[in-house]
Order: sequence, then C-alpha cells, then structure tokens
Amino acid sequence: MTRNILAPLTLGLVLLFLIGPFIIIVAASFSAGETLAFPPQGFSFKWIAKVFTVESFRQSFGTSLFLAIGGTLAALILGIPAAYAMSRYRLPGAETVRFMVSLPIVVPGIVVGLALLRYFVIPAGVPILLALFLAHTALILPYAVRVVSASLANLRSDMEEAAVILGASRIGAFVRVVLPNIRGGILAAFILGFVTSFNQVPVSLFLSGPGVRTLPIDMLGYMEIVFDPSIAALSSLLAFLSIGIVLLAERFLGFSRYV
Amino acid sequence: MFHNRAEAYALALPAAVFAAIVFLVPVGLLLSEGLHGPGGWSLSAYVQFFSEPLNQKIFLRTLKLGLMVTATAAVIGYATAYAIVSMPAGTKGRMIGLVVLPMMISPVARTYAWIVILGRTGIVNEALKFVGLTDAPIRFLFTETAVFLGLLQLFLPLMIISLVSALENLPKDAVPAARILGANWLQVFVKIILPLTREGLIVGGTLVFTGSLTAYITPAILGGSKVLMLETLLYQQVTVASNFPAASVIAFLLIAMSFSANILLRRIATARSGK
Amino acid sequence: MSFLRLDGLTLAYGKTPAVEGLNLDIHRGELIALLGPSGCGKTTTMRAIAGLMPVRAGQITLDGRDITRVAANRREVGLVFQSYALFPHLTVFENVAFGLRLKGMSGKALEDKVMAAIASVGLTPFAQRKTPDMSGGQQQRVALARSMVMEPKVLMLDEPLSNLDARLRLEMRTELQRVQKKTGLTMIFVTHDQIEALALADRIVVMRNGAIEQIGTPEDIYNRPESAFVADFVGFETIFALKDGAMVTKGEPVPVPDAPAGAAALAWRPRAVTFGEGRFEGTVLSSSFAGSAREYLLDTPLGPVKAEVDAALPAHDLGATVRFDLPVATAAALRRAE
Ligand SMILES: Nc1ncnc2c1ncn2[C@@H]1O[C@H](COP(=O)(O)OP(=O)(O)O)[C@@H](O)[C@H]1O
Ligand SMILES: [Mg+2]
Repeated sequence: MTRNILAPLTLGLVLLFLIGPFIIIVAASFSAGETLAFPPQGFSFKWIAKVFTVESFRQSFGTSLFLAIGGTLAALILGIPAAYAMSRYRLPGAETVRFMVSLPIVVPGIVVGLALLRYFVIPAGVPILLALFLAHTALILPYAVRVVSASLANLRSDMEEAAVILGASRIGAFVRVVLPNIRGGILAAFILGFVTSFNQVPVSLFLSGPGVRTLPIDMLGYMEIVFDPSIAALSSLLAFLSIGIVLLAERFLGFSRYV
Repeated sequence: MFHNRAEAYALALPAAVFAAIVFLVPVGLLLSEGLHGPGGWSLSAYVQFFSEPLNQKIFLRTLKLGLMVTATAAVIGYATAYAIVSMPAGTKGRMIGLVVLPMMISPVARTYAWIVILGRTGIVNEALKFVGLTDAPIRFLFTETAVFLGLLQLFLPLMIISLVSALENLPKDAVPAARILGANWLQVFVKIILPLTREGLIVGGTLVFTGSLTAYITPAILGGSKVLMLETLLYQQVTVASNFPAASVIAFLLIAMSFSANILLRRIATARSGK
Repeated sequence: MSFLRLDGLTLAYGKTPAVEGLNLDIHRGELIALLGPSGCGKTTTMRAIAGLMPVRAGQITLDGRDITRVAANRREVGLVFQSYALFPHLTVFENVAFGLRLKGMSGKALEDKVMAAIASVGLTPFAQRKTPDMSGGQQQRVALARSMVMEPKVLMLDEPLSNLDARLRLEMRTELQRVQKKTGLTMIFVTHDQIEALALADRIVVMRNGAIEQIGTPEDIYNRPESAFVADFVGFETIFALKDGAMVTKGEPVPVPDAPAGAAALAWRPRAVTFGEGRFEGTVLSSSFAGSAREYLLDTPLGPVKAEVDAALPAHDLGATVRFDLPVATAAALRRAE
C-alpha cells in the first residue's frame, strides 16, 4: 500500500515547511554569533536579553499591547450588540449592517491605513495613536461579530423570552441569561482579536509617528538597519507568547470550537 | 425574535456607523482621488498608471503570484488534508493544531525566517556550498520564488483547514463505494472528492488568494524593490513618489480584486445553501 | 365574566398573517386545550398572550385589565415553552428561583418557596443539578415548576407532552391535571393530538388557519362537531356534503329525505357505518386488524368509505364485494360542509 507511506510523508513535508522556519528562528535566537545564521554559532541568551534593553521595542510593545487590548475591547463593545441585534431582532437592513461590519475583511489594511492618514490624521489633526486605535478596532470588529454571532446561533433564543416572561427586562435577560452562555465565545473572540491586532502590519504601516509605532512596524524598521539575531529572539518570544495564550484558551475553553 | 425596531437599531447602528466612519468615508475619499483629473472627473490617473509598462508588469505579477500560490496551496492542501482526515481522532487534533500554530505567529517573524534560509549565508546556500554544487552564493532573496515560498507558507494553513473540514463532511462511505465500483484514484478525486468538497476549496481558495494579494510584509522583505507587488508599489508610490492618484488606482485594484473574490465566494455559498 | 378575553386578536409575521380576528373567553380556573394542525397559529396566539408578539389589532384582557400593550415582564402570565427554554448555566434551584429573585425575594422565604415548587414536581433530589444533565421529562418538570412558582394568572403550555415518550406522556398528563385541579390555576395548553385534548381539557378550542373553528366541551367536540374540518379531526372519516336534500358523492347524488334541518353535511365514524348489509355496495381496498376491531377501506361509487367491525366476525378478502349502509340515525349532522 503505497498510500500508507505517501500520506504521512506529504504531511511530514508540509509540517516541515510550515514549522521549520519557526524552529530555525528559535534556534537562531540562542546564537552566540553576531549575525543571523543557521546553524547558530554557539549558544547564549545574549540576544534574548538584548531584546529587553532596546528602548524602542519596549515602547512599541506597549503601543501594540494597548491597541490589541483596547481595540479588541472596543470591537466587542460595538460587535456584541450588533451580533445580538442581527440574531434576535427583526431588523430591516440587517444585510447592510452585516456588510458594513465585514468591510474591514474585504478592504486591504494598507488602503485603510493610507486613507486614515490622508483624511483623518493630516487634515483633521487626529492623533496617530487614536487613528491606530480606530483602525485596529474596525479591523477586529468583523471577527468579534462573527464569533459572537456563532455563539448566539448555538443558543436557543427562547431562553431570553422565558427570562422576560419571568419578569426580567430585555437588558436583564441579556445579562443574566445570554452573557453567561456566550462567555466562551466572547473570550474566543477576544483572543482572536488580540492576536490579529498584535500581528497586524499593513494597517499600521502608514500610521506611525514619533514615539508611536506598533511592534511589528518597529521590527521591520529595525531589520532594515541591523542584521543581528535580536529580531529572531523577539520573534520567538512573541511566538511563544501567542502560542501560550492560545494553548491556555484551548485547554480551558475549547477555543477551536469558536474559530 | 424581538420586534422592537428602535431597540434593534440602537444595538446594531453603533457598529455600522463606526465602520462607515472609519472605513467607508476615508476609503471612499481615497478612491475618488483617483478619479479626479486636472479639470474635474476623469480616468486619467488610471490611463497614466497602466501606460507605465512597469506598473502593468507589477499588476500582472501580483495576479500571477496570487493564482500560483492558490493553485499550489490547493494541490498540497488536498494531499495534506486527506492525510490528516484519515488519522485517528487524537492524532488528527494534534496535527490540525500543528497546522494552525504558524497562524498565531507574527508574519514578520515567519517571513524573517526565510532570510535565514534563503539569504547569502543562509541554510540553502551553505548546504549547496558544502555539497560542492556552487562556489559563490546564489541569490534567492528578492526573487519571485522567494515571495512565492513566503506567501505559500503564510497562507497554506488556511487552505488545509478549509479542506480538512470539507473532507470531514464527506459522506463516510463515498470513497470506498466508488473504489468498489471500479474507479481509480484520479477518478475518485475528480468524480467524488472534488464535487463534494468544492465549497471548502472555494472558501480556502478565496482566503489564500485575497491573503496573497493583500500581503505586505512578504513582498516587502522577500521581494524588496526588485520584485514589487501592488502592496509594496502602493507603499512606494506614497512614501517615495508622493503620487496619490497612482496610490488611489492601486487601492482600487486591490479592493476590486478582494471584493470580486469575496462576492464570488458568497454567490457560491448561497447558491449551495439556497437549494 | 370571563377572566381572559381575546377580542378580535389579529397577529402577523411581517406581511404574512398568522391569526385573524380571534375571539375567545376563558373563565377563571378553566383548563383549555388549543387544538389544531401544525401551523394553524396556536403558538403564535400564546406568544401574543405572553407579550412576545406584537398585536396588530384587537385586545387582550386579563382579570379585568387591558394587557394588550403591557410589556411581557409585567403580565403575570406563565409560559412553558415547547423546548422548555431552561437556563443551561443554572441549577434546577436557580432556574426555579430566577423569577422570584427578580421580584426581590431572597433568603429563607425564597428557599422555602423554591424548594416547595421543586418538591411539587418531584425533583427534590435534583435541586442542585445543572439542567442539561437531566432527562426530557425532568426538564419539563423544571420548566413547569419555574413557571408555577411565579403564581401566574394564566399558565400556558406549548405542546407540553409532544417531546416525551409514550409512557412519560401519560404520566405528565395525569400530573398536569392533578396540579391544575389542586391549584385551581387557569391553564391553556397547546396540542395537535385530539386524544390529549379530549382527556385533559374542560373546554377545547379547535383552531384552523389562524381562526377558531369550534369551541366546546370534549363531549361537544367529539360527538357534535360543527364542521367537516372538526369532524375529520376527531375521527369522522366518511363525510358527505348535502345539497338540495341529497348527499353530494363521487357518483350520483344520494337523496336523504330524513336529513336533520339545517345540516350542511353528514359524517360517520367508521364504527357508525353499517357493514355487511344495506343500500350500497363497495369493494374492499384494504383491511387492517386493530385488536378488538377490524377496519376496512371500501372503494364505492360514493367515494372511499371507512368502516370498522367487530374482529370476531369473519374477515373479508381484498377485492371482495360487500354491502354497507350509511344510516342517518348514526350520522353527525354538520353545520358547515367545509
Ligand atoms: N417566526 C416566524 N416567521 C414567519 N412566520 C412564522 C413564524 N412562526 C410561525 N410562522 C407562521 O405562522 C403560522 C402559525 O404558526 P404557529 O403559531 O407556530 O403554528 P402552530 O403553533 O399552530 O403550529 C404558520 O403559518 C407559520 O408558518
Ligand atoms: Mg407550535
């Protein structure tokens, strides 16, 4: 049976292709040499340590963290009610709303970044950080709506009606009955939004100014100037951070159900 | 189903209005900029953009790479997804996890790895030198091949995941039944697997295609200014040339391609569910 | 004086009408069955009474108060959903306590009242269970306790027995009746099963296409259906309209000189058909054995006729020719031929 060898072989090669580069990066982070090379020359923690000493990394990490957390929260605050309205109300124009909130998936990020720069930041004096925040919020909004909609679809709507008949207000029914049952979906949306925002480049490309840059943009800039393993070290650290968050979420929530 | 219209709008409108203000208005303004000539509305920016042979080449290259990445991802995707689906449940879950894992890693890091592999002192060149095939390093970086590999690595997981879920929904005995009726593997694929997983293929294909069109980091790092794609060209037109009409044209092209792919996807999806 | 009154109630989903001009008076303490085929508007009517459905036209009065526009959470109406609609994240206790807590009740008073309600449906040992872990019958009891503990003025149940298996169904039927008699609660329950309606209800409301077809006691409905629709629903299988003193059949009209005055149609249960002798002749299309009786479907010049005879009598083969009669004396006279 050739098929029995062929299938795992294909899978193995594909996994090597997908994950190999990541392993190389991790290995390179522990290099003792001065330039990026593989196999790494010697073993040291110096590049890992260096990451923490670069002032601009610290600053842009803070910016990215703020955008990822703030943007995701804002997207959820906008997205949960919208998803709720579309799933539970007879809403004329629901298709238009759905289209509007899913626009950010269809419009390339770089275009949005440029448009915001050209029409908000430059003429209207909108601070870059605010423009970034708006852009990241809009970017995460489709994911928030989609994931929350999926959880709502799995939740029978007569539960809210039962709550209302038992005396709850509409909002009371939402808080007491709906929210507890879509908690998992909301957390999944949060993680998905966080990772999406944190890794996002094109939207942020044009939206950087003195002291305001997202981490990926900062890394791109750094790479153009310095060719040492510190970017590899930083990339590994970030990757492990993302993977750790996702694994935790998977373990405690079955994250993959929602994505 | 609730019926209070005012409540429904109060819940749904903030998100829609937000998206309109942050997305629709500025992007609309940007697009309209490409439609203004010296004396009012005109297509001169488009004419000018496409009269430049380099721009034509970049446009076609973007399309070509997008299609190539999508096609390659489909072929590899089917083989991989089939291998994954035929595994026992526990292993299957772990394999899916391994496929999804790279998607959680910053594209900057993922693309950066290719420099280590393809660079002048990268793995491939060192290996070639070691075996004695070459004396001087070969240039892999800043070629279409490098961009192709980078994009494929970036978006292949999306295709695999789509095809895995499509294959999982394949009726259990369809393939053995076709085999018993005498079909060879190619016939099984064309007559059974392909039609029944068409939707997954289209979903995956759209994701890979639009992803490849609108990726910035990969062409920027692996293609540089030698292998410009629409996204990197857009960046260059703005930062180097300050040519906003051209940037508007590129933005339109990107949006148009992404939109068409998504509309096609929705068409096909609703055509299926509507019957 | 009626306790719950629906006056010209008209309901619609968007542009599709669901219920039109429905009038109904229900007395305090009555047990009412809403009976009708699927899609006739039973659920919609209940949802309107509960306040979950906007009223297009008409009025709902409960205990002397116009509640047509009162919000659902202020109506003092209970509804047990067909799906039970329990809160999956809460225990049985918390499900039952839900409404009382909203009323501001707490502490010992709350606990006593909730536990009493749980005990009344026999679920005391399960009070701390989460509801998704329970069987269909148990979930149903939780839903019942959750509604009853609120002491609603009217308790409505949407197909309360349809999700249960045959044995549980019988058990719950008795349970419902017992609870209703004990508490004197005004209850409306929906069913599309005539046997259930006949067994349980004080009065039956037969619905058809969003309107009421007939209201009456189980005896009225069972023995004196007013229309062909109701007759068919309660088991009159052979129905012929009357025109100019004759039955309209597939073949020649059959004169019926002794038809009751005002009758628009005559209807026979299979058992009311005289079998083996009489004016008409038919061939046996099918025959089925049902324990004590045997049912024959006859192909006759009048049209198909269904007859039921004692199983002890010798059976007829398929294709055999038999005589039969449709005596006016055993027929139900219908006021409407539709
Ligand atoms: N959510 C809805 N949207 C549109 N039409 C509905 C909806 N629910 C019910 N209907 C229609 O209203 C009519 C009455 O439905 P319903 O009250 O559920 O019937 P029943 O409970 O008697 O089976 C049916 O024709 C049904 O198709
Ligand atoms: Mg119903």
